[in-house]
Amino acid sequence: MTEIPASIEPSLSALRAAFPARFEAAPTEQALRDENAKILGKKGELTAILSQMRTVPPEARKAIGEQVNALKQAVEAAFEARLRSLARAKREQDLSAPPFDLTLPGRPPAPAGHPHPISIVRDEIVDVLVSLGFAVHDGPEVELEENNFTKLGFPPDHPATDMQDSFWVDVAGAPPGERRTLLRTHTSNVQIRAMTTHAPPMAFIAPGPTYRRDDDATHSPMFHQIECFLIDRHVTMANLKGVLAEFAERFFGAGTPVRLRPSYFPFVEPGAEVDVGCPFCKQPNGTRAGCSVCKRTGWIEILGCGMIHPVVFESCGIDPEQWTGFAFGMGIERVAMVRYGIPDLRLLFENDPRFLAQF
Amino acid sequence: MKASLRWLRELCPQLPDDAAALAARLTAAGLEVEGTEAFGAGTEACVVARVVSARPHPSRDGLRLVVVDRGGREQEVVCGAPNVPDPGGLVVLAPLGAHLPAKGMTIERRTIAGTVSEGMLCSEAELGLGDDGSGLLVLPAGVAAPGAALTHALPGARDTIFEIGLTPNRPDGLGHLGLAREAAALFEVPFPPPSPTRGADATDGGEKHVSVSIEDAERCPHYGFAVLVGARIAPSPLAVRWRLSSLGVRPISNVVDVTNLVMLELGHPMHAFDLARVRGGKIVVRRARAGEAMRTLDGVDRTLHDDDLVICDGEGPVALAGVMGGGDSEISASTTRVLLECAYFDPRGIRRAARRHGLHTESSHRFERGVDWGDTRHALERAASLVSTLAGATLAGRTHLEEARSLSRASVTLRCERVGALLGAEVSRSDVGAILGRLGFERQGARDGADTWLAPSFRPDVSRPVDLVEEVARVRGFDAIPATLPAIRPSRDAAPRASLARRARAAGVSMGLSEAISSAFVSRPDLHAVGAPAPAVSLRNPMSEEQSVMRTSLLPGLLRVLGHARRHGEGGVRVFSVGALFLASAGSLPDERLAFAALLAGERPAWLTKPQPVDVWDAKGLLEGLVQRMLHREDTVRLVSAAAPPPPAFHPRGAASVEVDGKVVGSLGPLHPDVADAFELGDGPVMVVQLDLDALDAVGARPVRFAPLPRFPASARDLAVVVRDGVPGGDVERAVREAAGELAEQVALFDRFVGGGVPAGHASLALHVVYRAPDRTLTDAEVDARHAEVVAAVQKRFGATLRA
Ligand SMILES: [Zn+2]
Repeated sequence: MTEIPASIEPSLSALRAAFPARFEAAPTEQALRDENAKILGKKGELTAILSQMRTVPPEARKAIGEQVNALKQAVEAAFEARLRSLARAKREQDLSAPPFDLTLPGRPPAPAGHPHPISIVRDEIVDVLVSLGFAVHDGPEVELEENNFTKLGFPPDHPATDMQDSFWVDVAGAPPGERRTLLRTHTSNVQIRAMTTHAPPMAFIAPGPTYRRDDDATHSPMFHQIECFLIDRHVTMANLKGVLAEFAERFFGAGTPVRLRPSYFPFVEPGAEVDVGCPFCKQPNGTRAGCSVCKRTGWIEILGCGMIHPVVFESCGIDPEQWTGFAFGMGIERVAMVRYGIPDLRLLFENDPRFLAQF
Repeated sequence: MKASLRWLRELCPQLPDDAAALAARLTAAGLEVEGTEAFGAGTEACVVARVVSARPHPSRDGLRLVVVDRGGREQEVVCGAPNVPDPGGLVVLAPLGAHLPAKGMTIERRTIAGTVSEGMLCSEAELGLGDDGSGLLVLPAGVAAPGAALTHALPGARDTIFEIGLTPNRPDGLGHLGLAREAAALFEVPFPPPSPTRGADATDGGEKHVSVSIEDAERCPHYGFAVLVGARIAPSPLAVRWRLSSLGVRPISNVVDVTNLVMLELGHPMHAFDLARVRGGKIVVRRARAGEAMRTLDGVDRTLHDDDLVICDGEGPVALAGVMGGGDSEISASTTRVLLECAYFDPRGIRRAARRHGLHTESSHRFERGVDWGDTRHALERAASLVSTLAGATLAGRTHLEEARSLSRASVTLRCERVGALLGAEVSRSDVGAILGRLGFERQGARDGADTWLAPSFRPDVSRPVDLVEEVARVRGFDAIPATLPAIRPSRDAAPRASLARRARAAGVSMGLSEAISSAFVSRPDLHAVGAPAPAVSLRNPMSEEQSVMRTSLLPGLLRVLGHARRHGEGGVRVFSVGALFLASAGSLPDERLAFAALLAGERPAWLTKPQPVDVWDAKGLLEGLVQRMLHREDTVRLVSAAAPPPPAFHPRGAASVEVDGKVVGSLGPLHPDVADAFELGDGPVMVVQLDLDALDAVGARPVRFAPLPRFPASARDLAVVVRDGVPGGDVERAVREAAGELAEQVALFDRFVGGGVPAGHASLALHVVYRAPDRTLTDAEVDARHAEVVAAVQKRFGATLRA
C-alpha cells in the first residue's frame, strides 16, 4: 500500500467526514446546490484538493485518484438524495398546507354568448331540410307587388290579400311608374325569384324576415318564415307528405305524427294547413293527452303548404304540363314558441338579456 | 261564419245530430270549425211560468213579489223587472239549481230584503238568448202550459253554434244552405233542393211601383227586386230573434230581420228600402259621380268616388251598392211598402269600394267573395215569402230580375289521370265523378279519359282542372294520400346573404355576445339621432310613427334593447344584431345591405376585485375577435381615428372607422352621451361596433394554410420603457416589432403604468418579446444583442428611458 502524502490525506478525510452533515444542514434546494458547488464546483474544495495532485509522487497518484473519485461519487449521490428529500419535504408541506377556501365564488369564464331562439330554430330547420336535399336561396325583404302577389296568383282586388295585410312602401329614388312595392308578406316571393332565374328541376329553401300589418300576442308586424319548394317532373302531394313527415320526425322527434287539413292559399292547389302531434302531452304509448299548449287537441299547427298552382308556373314561364311542385312555408316564431314553451310572442322581440341567456 | 246546427239539420235532416262529428268532417274538408258554443245553455233547466199575482215588496221600492204558477204548483219570487205582465202572462222561471252561464250564476235560495226567493224570473239577456236585459222575457200567450220545459216549448232556445273559419275561396259557405249542401256531400246523404214558397200574388205588379235601370252592366250584371205592400213593421217572433242572436246578428225589425235571415240562409245579401222614401219611384244602378255625397246607415256622410257603384232613386244615391244602405231610405216603424233588393255585383268593384270607405260589412264580405248569381230569384222569393209571413205584407205581382249581362258557369275538362298524377294516389274515374256530382258539378261530356264538368254558380272559385283535383282530394281527405319521400335532384345554394349572416351570428355568439332580433321598423328621429343615412324606404301605412321607416342602421334597435334592459335593472348587456339595412339605390327596390352591430354595456367580468366598466378597448378586442373568426385577418385590422368631425353617434375621444386589409368595413367607439340621452339610456358607458358585412365579405377570408410548428426553443425578454404620455402604445409596439425583425415571434404590450415612480406626463410601457429562429436554437448572446438593438431603437425613436 502506497503512502498518501500528508498534505492531501487530511483534507480528503475532513471533507469525507463533513459533507453529509453539510448537505443535511442545507435548508433549501438553492442552499443545497450552493453547498454542492462549494464542494464539486470549478472552484470547489475537491478541485482544490485535486490541484495538489502534482505534489503527490506518481506511484501514489492512482490510489489517491481512486479515493477522490470515490468521494466525488459519494458527494454526488448524497446531493441527489438530499435533493430528493428536500423536494419531497416541499411537496409534503404543500400537501399539508391549509385547504383552499372553496367557498369563494368561482372565477367567471369569458361570458357566454347566446343565439336568439329564432336563430336556433331557423338554423335547425335549415339543417334538417338541407340534409333532405334542399339548397338555400336568398330573397329581398322589400319586394315588388308582382313578385309578392301577382305572379303568385293573388287575384287583383281579391279578399285573399286580406289574409296578408301588407305594408306598402315608397322607395326613395325609385323610378316613378306602376310598379308598387311592399315589405314581403311571406318568403314565397323567393319561389318567383328562383323560378324566373333557374330552370327546373329545383329544390330550395328560403329563410328570412317577413312583414304583415298585425300586432297582438300572436302576431308581430315583423316575423320570420322559411319557405321550402321542390319542382320536378313528377312531384306529387304524396311527396309533400313524405317530406313533411320526415321533417317532423327529425325536427320534433321520432314518432311525431303529421296531419294535413285542406286550406286555401292562392299560390297552391290543393292547399293544406299542417299540424304536428303536440310534443308537450305525448304519452308513453305515443298518443297525445291534450294540454294547454295544444288547446287540448293534441295537435299544433305549424305551417301552410300545397301543390304549386299552375298559375304560378305560368307566370314564371314554366310549363305546368311538364313540371309539378310542392311548396310549404313555416312561421319560425310559432315553432320556437312551441319548442321552448314561450307563452308570448312579444318576449321574442324584447330581447331581455335574462330571456336571451336561457337559450 | 257562425253556423247553427239546428238550421243545418232543418235544411238537411239526414245530417248527424252529433256536433263533434259534423265539426270534424267539415274541418277535414277545409271548412275549419274553429269553435263550438252552446247557445241558450241557460234555458236548459228553465220552465214556463204563468203570472198569478204581483204585489209591491213591503219594504223595498222597485221590487215586486210575484206569484207564478209553474205547473200545478205556485211559487213566490222576488222580481225587480219593470214589465211583470198582468196575471195570466207567461214568463220564464229559472228554478233553484238552474245555471245561467250568460250571467255566470246558479240560482240559489236567497233572502232579498227580508223575503226568501227560490228562483228567478229571467230576461233574454239572463238566459243568453239576446241582448235585451231591460225586462222579463214575456212569452206569447198559449205557447205552452205552465210548468213546461222552456226548451220543449221553444226548441229554438237551444242550439249548437259552430264558428267556421272560411277561406276566401268558399263564399258558398257563407250561408247555411251552402254549408248544409257541403255537409251532405261529405256525409254522402241526400240533399233536398230548397223549394221556395211563393207569396200570394197580388194583382198589381211590382213594376207599377218602381222602375229599375242598370247603367253599369259590368259592375251590376243582375239586379233583382220585389215589392211588398201592406207591411206592418214590428219585432220578429222569438224564434227569429233568437236565431239571429245566436248567429251574432242583432234583431231589428221583422223586415230587416228577413233580409238578414235570407243572407244567413242563402249567403246572398239583400237590402230592404222603404219604397215610400225611394224618390221618383225609380231605381238606377250606376257609378257615382266624383264628389257626390250620401249618408250611409252608420250615420257617416260620405263623399263618393267615381269608381263607387251606387243605387240611386230619382234624385240621388240611396245605397252604396253591395256595401251599405243609405240612412234616408231605411225601413222605419212607419214603413208599409217595402222594396227588396237582391243583386249580383262584380266582386272586385265591391271590394274596392268597401276598402275605399273603410267599410267591411256582412254584405261586402259576401259580395267581394262572389255570391251565387244563380240564386238571385230564389233569394227574392224566399225573402218575399218571409216578409209576407212575418210582416203580413203582400207581394206586388212577382219578383223581378233585370239581367244586364249574362253570366255563365265555368266548364272544366279534367283528364282523369291528372288526379292521381298530382296527388300521388290512385283515384278511380268513378270516384272522381261521384265526388264532383255530390258537390253539385254536372258532367257535360266525356271522351278519351277526360270529363267535362259544369261548375255550379255557387262555386266561383272553380275554373281550372286543378280546382277539380282539389275538390276530389279534400272530399276524399288528405289522410287518403300516402307519404312518399321524393328523390330530390340537387340544387346549388343561391344564398350568399343567408350564409354570410349565419357566419356573422356564429362569430358574434363565439365572442360572448347574445343575439337580439329587433324590428326593422324605426322612426326618422331615431335614425337621425345615431347619424344614420336618411331612410330610403318609408311605409305608407305604418303601425305608428315610431315604426314608419325601414332602418338604415341597426343601432336604434340595439339601443332600444339596452334601454329595455336597463329599465328592468339589467345593466350588463352584450348584444349584437345581424340584419338588412335598407339603403337608397337607383332601382325600384332599395339596396339591402347586410349589417352587424354590437353593443357592450355594463361591466366586464372580474373576480374578487371591483369590476370595471367596459371601455373602448373591449370594443376593439371584440372587433379583432370577430374579424379573426370571420376572415382570419385580425392582423390587418386598423382603427383609423375618425377625421373631424367624428360620426355623430360616437364619443369623439374614441370614434374610429375600422379598416380590414386597407378597406373600410365599419366603425367603432363609445356611444356619444347625447345619443344615450336621446334614447333615455341613463348613465354608464356604451361601446358600439358596427360592421358592413357585405364590405367585410368583399375583403374575403384569408385561406387557412398550415404553418410548421417551431422546432427550436424560444427566448423571451421583457422591456420596460418610460415615454411621454402622448406617445401611442401601438407605435412603441410597432417600433419594437420592426427593430426585433425576423427573430421576433411575438411582441406584446402587457403593462401600462402611470404615476408612482413614473415622472409626471409620462407613462411606463412594458413589453414582452419572444425571439425564435425557425432553423436553429438562438444563443443567449444572439438574443441579447438583438434585444439591445430593440432597446436602443425605442430609446432613440421615442426619447424613452429604460425602466429598471
Ligand atoms: Zn299538448
